[in-house]
Amino acid sequence: MSESNECRSDAAAYVLGSLEQGEAEAFRRHLASCVVCRDEVAAFQQAVDLLPMAAPQYPLPRGLRRRVLRELRAERRATPPDVGRRRPAPSLFGMEIRRPALVLGVLLFAALATVGALELASSGSSGVRIIQASVTGSAGHAELRLSGGRAELIVSRLPPPPLGHVYEVWLTHGRRPPSPTNVLFSVTSTGSGDVGVPGDLRGVSEILVTPEPIGGSRAPTHTPVIVARLA
Amino acid sequence: MQLVRDGEAGAFEVIFDRHAQRAFSLAYRMCGRRALAEDVVQEAFLSLWRSGARYDPARGSVRSWVLSVVHNRAIDAFRREAVKESRDVRDDRLVERTPSLLLTQTEVERRDDAQQVRSALGELPAEQQQVIELAYFGGFTHSQIAETLGLPAGTVKGRMRLGLTKMRLVLGERSGVML
Repeated sequence: MSESNECRSDAAAYVLGSLEQGEAEAFRRHLASCVVCRDEVAAFQQAVDLLPMAAPQYPLPRGLRRRVLRELRAERRATPPDVGRRRPAPSLFGMEIRRPALVLGVLLFAALATVGALELASSGSSGVRIIQASVTGSAGHAELRLSGGRAELIVSRLPPPPLGHVYEVWLTHGRRPPSPTNVLFSVTSTGSGDVGVPGDLRGVSEILVTPEPIGGSRAPTHTPVIVARLA
Repeated sequence: MQLVRDGEAGAFEVIFDRHAQRAFSLAYRMCGRRALAEDVVQEAFLSLWRSGARYDPARGSVRSWVLSVVHNRAIDAFRREAVKESRDVRDDRLVERTPSLLLTQTEVERRDDAQQVRSALGELPAEQQQVIELAYFGGFTHSQIAETLGLPAGTVKGRMRLGLTKMRLVLGERSGVML
C-alpha cells in the first residue's frame, strides 16, 4: 500500500478495530513505512481511548471486587510472583532451561513451521508448570501455564484467525478425536491473548487450537495452529 | 505499575479500584447482560494481573491498557455467547440517574467525564456517530456495517474518519477530558 488518501482512509477503521483481518494485517505492514498514517493512527487512538467513557456509567456490582481479588489471591498462593510471572527466557537458578522438543506427529506437521514443544519449568513446590506449545504456520508463540489445577493458554504474535473465524480450544485424550471446549478467542492487534482452559485435564494428552467459524465447531475443521502436549 | 509487574497484589488492588467501574460500564454497554459483563471484567483483570509485565507506558495510559483488554474480552465474549441481538442495556442502577449527593467525588468526576465524551460523540452528525458506535461498542467490521446500512464500504470508512477527527477537535477544546 502506497502513501495516499486511500491508505489514510483506513486509519480510523483500523483504530476502531473495524478493518477485516486481511486489511488490518496489510495496514499494519503499511504503517511501518508510512509516517502519515502512523501520525493519523496516533491521533485517532487518543479519541478512541476515550470512547469507553461514553458508555453509561454503572456502579460496580457488589461482590465483583471480592471475587476478583479472591481469584487473584488463589493464583498468588499457587504461583509465587517470581515463578509465575512470565519472562522472556524462563530459568531455574539463573540458568535457562531448554530441553529438546518431543517430536510431534512428524507426518502431520512436517510441512509446517513448527516451533518445538519445550517444557520450560516444572512444578516443584510452587505447583507451576509452563509448557511451550508448538505454533504452526506463523512466527507466533504459545505456552500453557498449569497451576493450582487450572490451565491457561497464553499466546503472543499470533495472527488473527481468518475472516469470519475465531480460535477454538480442543482437548485430546490419547487417540480419541479432539473434544471441543467452550473456549473461543481472538487476539489483540499485537497478536496477544490468554484464555483459561476449562475442565479436568486428567487424561488429556494434547491441547489444540484451530481456527473455526464464529460460534465454534463440534469437530475441528482446520489443522491445529497450536499444539500443547501434556503427556 | 512496576509493583504490579513485580507481583504486588496490593498495587493491583489500586489499579482495580481505579478502573473497575469504567471497565464494568464498558463491558455492560457492549454485552448488555450484567452477569456476562461481570465475567468479562473478572477475566480481563485476572488476565491483566497475569500479564502486567506486558504493559508498555510508551503506548498509552494504564486506563487505556485496562479498557482495551476489557474491550477485547467483551468482543470475544459476545462472539462466544452470540448475544449481539439482545444488547439493549436498560438498568436503573445507572450512575447518571443517581443524585450527586449519593455519589462519591470519584463517581461524580467519572460521570462528568462520561457526559463530556458522550456529548462530544452526540455532537457528531448522526451517521458518523452510528458507524463509530457500531464499530467500537458493537464490534462490527466496516463491511458488516456497510452491509447492514446498505452503504459502500468506502462511505463507512469515510464517516468513521470524519467522526473521529471531529471528536478529537471537540474533546481537545475541553480541558480535563483528554488526559
